[in-house]
Amino acid sequence: MSFNRRDLIKGAGVAAGAAALGTSAVAQAAPLQVGFIYVGPVGDFGWSTMHDIGRKRLEEVMGAQVKTTPVESVAANDMERVATQLARQGHRLIFTTSFSFFQATMRVAPTLPQTFFESATGTATAPNVSLYNARFYEGRYVQGVIAARKSKSKTIGYIASFPVPEVMHAINTVMRGAWSVDPSMKIRVVWVNAWFNPGREADAARALIDQGCDVICQHTDSPAPLQLANERGVFGFGQASDMTKFAPRAHLTSSVNNWGDYYVERARAVINGTWKPGDVWGGLGSGLFRLAPFTNMTPEEASEAQKIAEALGSGKLNPFDGPIVRADGTEVIGAGGRLTDDQIRSMNYFYRGVDVAVPG
Amino acid sequence: MRLVIARRQDVPGWLKLVSPLYAIALTLLSGAAMFAALGVSPTTGLYTYFVSPLTDAWALQEVAVKATPLVLIAVGLSLCYLSDNWNIGAEGQLVIGAVFGAAVAVATHGAPNGPWVLPAMIVAGMVGGALFAMIPAILKTRFQANEILTSLMLVYVAELLLDWLVRGPWRDPHGFNFPQTVMFEPEAQMTRLMDVGRLNISAPLALLVVAVAAILLARTLKGFEIRVVGEAPRAARFAGWDPRTLTWTVFAISGALAGLAGVVEASGTLGQLQPNISPGYGFTAIIVAFLGRLNPIGCLAAAIFLAVTFIGGENAQIALRLPLDVTRVFQGMLLFYILACDAVIAFRFTIVRGDASGATA
Repeated sequence: MSFNRRDLIKGAGVAAGAAALGTSAVAQAAPLQVGFIYVGPVGDFGWSTMHDIGRKRLEEVMGAQVKTTPVESVAANDMERVATQLARQGHRLIFTTSFSFFQATMRVAPTLPQTFFESATGTATAPNVSLYNARFYEGRYVQGVIAARKSKSKTIGYIASFPVPEVMHAINTVMRGAWSVDPSMKIRVVWVNAWFNPGREADAARALIDQGCDVICQHTDSPAPLQLANERGVFGFGQASDMTKFAPRAHLTSSVNNWGDYYVERARAVINGTWKPGDVWGGLGSGLFRLAPFTNMTPEEASEAQKIAEALGSGKLNPFDGPIVRADGTEVIGAGGRLTDDQIRSMNYFYRGVDVAVPG
Repeated sequence: MRLVIARRQDVPGWLKLVSPLYAIALTLLSGAAMFAALGVSPTTGLYTYFVSPLTDAWALQEVAVKATPLVLIAVGLSLCYLSDNWNIGAEGQLVIGAVFGAAVAVATHGAPNGPWVLPAMIVAGMVGGALFAMIPAILKTRFQANEILTSLMLVYVAELLLDWLVRGPWRDPHGFNFPQTVMFEPEAQMTRLMDVGRLNISAPLALLVVAVAAILLARTLKGFEIRVVGEAPRAARFAGWDPRTLTWTVFAISGALAGLAGVVEASGTLGQLQPNISPGYGFTAIIVAFLGRLNPIGCLAAAIFLAVTFIGGENAQIALRLPLDVTRVFQGMLLFYILACDAVIAFRFTIVRGDASGATA
């Protein structure tokens, strides 16, 4: 009977893990239960969907070693209860996939010392709380380079969600990339106050195209802006997933979130007893996200973009090298300097030359 | 063939009161059928939804945490609805209450402060909610503006004000510019009552509110006035009651209670302000008020029942891996059956063969 043999093999691996953790082998005999808490529905086609695709990837790679449980559309008010409930049901690794959960994660984690938490963005770690996020801005730099090559009007349109540092440093970085090709490049920004709202995103794209923007960048999750770009004969970039199919004539590349490999790594760490709190902020070199295949570009344009992406991934090129001067003229760092991660993460200003008003 | 609907004249009062129980029974039956269709044993499914949230002390505390804002708001809304004042904007009053309460917490942050901070937050939150609710009340009495529209639209005003505050002036200076305030000091957070679990002093406060409102409605002249103005406005005028004063009173009370719920969420559940501080409690409480028959004690029962289904829905996602949609279907069925039971009790439905012209179907 294969049943016995399989159990033996599983038991051997489990025993090693249990020994490393110093916990009882009985508790380890079952697969590692991994909980995922989403801020939106799994079908939002954006942030939560991509985390759920990561969860499925984890199941696919780890097979019977893990059992995953998604809980969707959780409000920050309910986060502590959901996390506690997951832990009580035996989940030892929980991914809390939104910044709005961060404070609740920090509050609940000390009460569940046997459970490891992974917060997608946050401001601090704890003995059982790790942070993880991707340096999406590296993709923005590549978008800036491509936009400068493709734009005839020399104006990029940017559909922005909220004026948080993540979005502000992305806008700055798009322009950094664009100026590396053509210092005369300009940008127009429309704030839609949503991460996902196809109607408003499309309206924003329409307004930007009407104002002469012929390459559209989006910091929102729906394919609506790209579809509109396709209709109006301008170019655009996809967000979160590969959006080529939504805009076969307009799509240049997409920034594709890829959490699955990180989830596998962290689940393995828990099983092996090597989990430690960390603060992972990975770029193109880390595999936390990647660029979808370049489309609607000449071979020269594509190879240039590819080279830039590789230089960013290997660290040879850093979009936050000095000199960096704010829009109001004050110098942040001089030539030869480089912004620290904390400075990037709290960026609340635009660079000189980025002529954009912040709402509010 | 045609359907004739006629109002029944002889409906006993108790039948109207127990109609939600029929609705719950029908929901349970349909729920069992749905679980069977989804390949989950109906007993396991119903147990997870309705019993598992009540099985131990920690879970019971969570039911109380979830039910507290709902019951606070629903009691206030009941007073409004009984007196024919349609306050739909409790969500906005909740937000403004949280903002007023948080103003105290943010102002005293880092300064040596004493046990007065939390009571001050509660009072500020109730005042803020009441003031905000007075806007639709005054618009109604002064300009006859429809309070359903004005109170509802003010929700957006409140939410955008909160959004601006947490992204602007009240943003945590050490929070990497994320949209949130500082974490409140321990003195500015609702005192927790247990070593393990989130039960805090807001739950006994809500019970007090229910008791006071029940006595007010059943035993005082004001309570009588509220009911008469709603049911027989002409009679109320003959009695010399001014419907305008009553509109202001019930809006102020319900705004104050929604504001209190806002302080409860900001200071008890979240410990800070964020762009979103309520998962729609102000709107869910409308359902609670009607499910509770606009009666404070009924609201308490209804709030607990809805809290159980919310938490049961989470447990079903975790233990049975059923999607959230099943919970939504569940709650939708419940509301459908309540309306249906009310309709069947209040009206007589008869199918008449043939129509007025004599032709047969």
